[in-house]
Amino acid sequence: MEYLTSLVSLALIASAIRVTMPILLASLGAVYSERGGVVNIGLEGTMVMGTFFGAVGNYFFAEGFPGLVRVFPDLAPIAGVLAAILAGILFASIHALVTVTFRVDQIVSGVALNLLAAGLARFLNILLFTQSTQSPGVRGFTPIDIPLLRDIPQLGPLVRGISPMIIAALLLVVLSQWVLLRTRFGLRLRAVGEYPLAADTLGVDVARMRYAGVLLSGALAGMAGAYLAIEQAHLYFEGMTQGRGFIALAAMIFGNWWPVGALGASALFGYFDALSLRVVRLPVPYQFISVLPHVVTILVLAGFVRRAQMPAADGVPYTKEEE
Amino acid sequence: MKARLLLLQIAAPVVAILFGMLISSIIILAIGRNPLEVFGIMVRFSLTRTDSLFSILFKSTPLILAGLAVAMSFRVNLFNIGVEGQYYIGAFFAAYVGFTLRGLPPLVHLPLALAAAMIGGMLWGLLPIVLKLRRGAHEVITTIMMNYIASALLLYLIADIFRDPAQAGTPRVRTPDVAGAARIPSLGPFFAQFGLTGSDVQKVNALIIIGIVLAVVLAYALARTRFGYEVRAVAANPLAAEAAGIPNARVQFLVFMLSAGIAGLVGLNDILGFFGYLDIDFPKGLGFLGISIALLAKNHPIGVIPAALLLGFLDRGAQGVQFFARVPKETIVIMQAIIILAIVVAYELMTRYVRVQRKREAQLGTPPGPQAAMQPGSAEAGS
Repeated sequence: MEYLTSLVSLALIASAIRVTMPILLASLGAVYSERGGVVNIGLEGTMVMGTFFGAVGNYFFAEGFPGLVRVFPDLAPIAGVLAAILAGILFASIHALVTVTFRVDQIVSGVALNLLAAGLARFLNILLFTQSTQSPGVRGFTPIDIPLLRDIPQLGPLVRGISPMIIAALLLVVLSQWVLLRTRFGLRLRAVGEYPLAADTLGVDVARMRYAGVLLSGALAGMAGAYLAIEQAHLYFEGMTQGRGFIALAAMIFGNWWPVGALGASALFGYFDALSLRVVRLPVPYQFISVLPHVVTILVLAGFVRRAQMPAADGVPYTKEEE
Repeated sequence: MKARLLLLQIAAPVVAILFGMLISSIIILAIGRNPLEVFGIMVRFSLTRTDSLFSILFKSTPLILAGLAVAMSFRVNLFNIGVEGQYYIGAFFAAYVGFTLRGLPPLVHLPLALAAAMIGGMLWGLLPIVLKLRRGAHEVITTIMMNYIASALLLYLIADIFRDPAQAGTPRVRTPDVAGAARIPSLGPFFAQFGLTGSDVQKVNALIIIGIVLAVVLAYALARTRFGYEVRAVAANPLAAEAAGIPNARVQFLVFMLSAGIAGLVGLNDILGFFGYLDIDFPKGLGFLGISIALLAKNHPIGVIPAALLLGFLDRGAQGVQFFARVPKETIVIMQAIIILAIVVAYELMTRYVRVQRKREAQLGTPPGPQAAMQPGSAEAGS
């Protein structure tokens, strides 16, 4: 009985919300990329870049402007997030160049990017911090309390001490849903992913839209990495993404290529992730608990992918004309 | 045309390697070192010392197998990113057979251990391929998840269940020793006849012969047998193959199992060929290197051998560069990734160029004027 109540405790839900965020942000990125018709397996590597540059931006801003940071302590984490987003965009631009311009197989390019990210992060870490696997500690954002709701004691951990990045991520879900459904950009992006030839005929620049989708996915995956490093671990260390970039792709598929769906699916993964972190005193070896999110990912892909409506031209390079 | 095509086939990887060197030169310059000097040290250290040459052979052995495993799956349009997890499980199966059975003759015990490794790899590949063919679950994501699960499972098996009782009280987490009869024989005594000795010579074992023979057999099977024909048909045009009575799903399943079975052998170079036990710190990441090798080799089994030697050379060179030039060995890891990206772009551009050339040649054969427009078939006839 004690097991069961601990499975739904407020503290667990609060922790689930926190660990949902990196998966959610990366899967939002995947939505943009795949809606435009480009599969981005390199999301994991992009996220690695985000964790590293999130910590680096944060650390060096705090070192460089100690006076400023003393007055406005949140400036350093903001610098970290911006650095991570920029790094994510730069890294994703390689994927865009290779897959959209050169039309190389998208999976192959993504796999190569993941290898590149691992080497690059180690190399840069040696250059900046003289060791290969870990950065110095960094400070996170000042947590905030939700106005009005914070006075309800029963909600405790859900409304008090919340990271502002969580609120930003949830707003991004709403914004992305609106962008994809209601704006000209969203419609064009989806058209390019569904039927590039038709979009091209109507004067939509297919390559430009696909670049936009991939670069947005880089920005969001970079932000996802920044969240991990700045808000969750308060430093960068090697291997901290733990396959979350791949899990985010599964979340996007489970969420049917829509931002709101990705939120629901990410929350599911986040719950199991939180469960694996807390090790509720179950009579099972911890190694099995630690792979819960990965097992759930397989189950989800096996059970639900059939009814999914993927963009028709997802993963297919578009050739404007046969030369 | 044929000669030009062959030239392009060779030029593409060379250009990609040069591009990789160019980018790493910029990185080396950026940290204030002379790239020419660094590459010089790398080549001299890797290619002019006996220990380095044999170390490259030893490092290349699992890479050949990993490259073959990935390349086979690529041949039927599947991405087996799970070679990593499959070789963890294969290594454990082989170690288990090695340390539980006693008193068997080597002619029985070693083949048994090899078979166990292949079965272990296949078992770990079974779920992703079944889910792919039955439920449409993308194998890239499921195999990656299986890698994480394999890593956790292996930790559990080595640390909690089969930990060598003789190591209790020490920080060493490893299985008991594998029986001598299950060890892969070293080729050291053979090389000793030519006066080549040393610990690195001793490490090279018979698994490299298995890898090379396997590459040749696979190349032959793909080019000359009925099964190879089916594999090529499925890869080239699944719909046409299906219409011709070749069951896509069955061919994909069999090739994926073959890929996973070969993957199971990857870890044995270290487990049965060198250490003689499975340690928690046994070499990891070989499966991912296999992806690079398959891409470099353009999925050709014979091409896998030079590709694996190249990566073995880069790996050894990275050690030399780190030690003698004090340039971080990660520079070479970055160079590897750049080479991979450059090579896939180079191959793609090459394919496109060849297509354009073919078309142009076809068009040149067409007589000009309105006649040509009325006879669309004349373009083919003229080529």
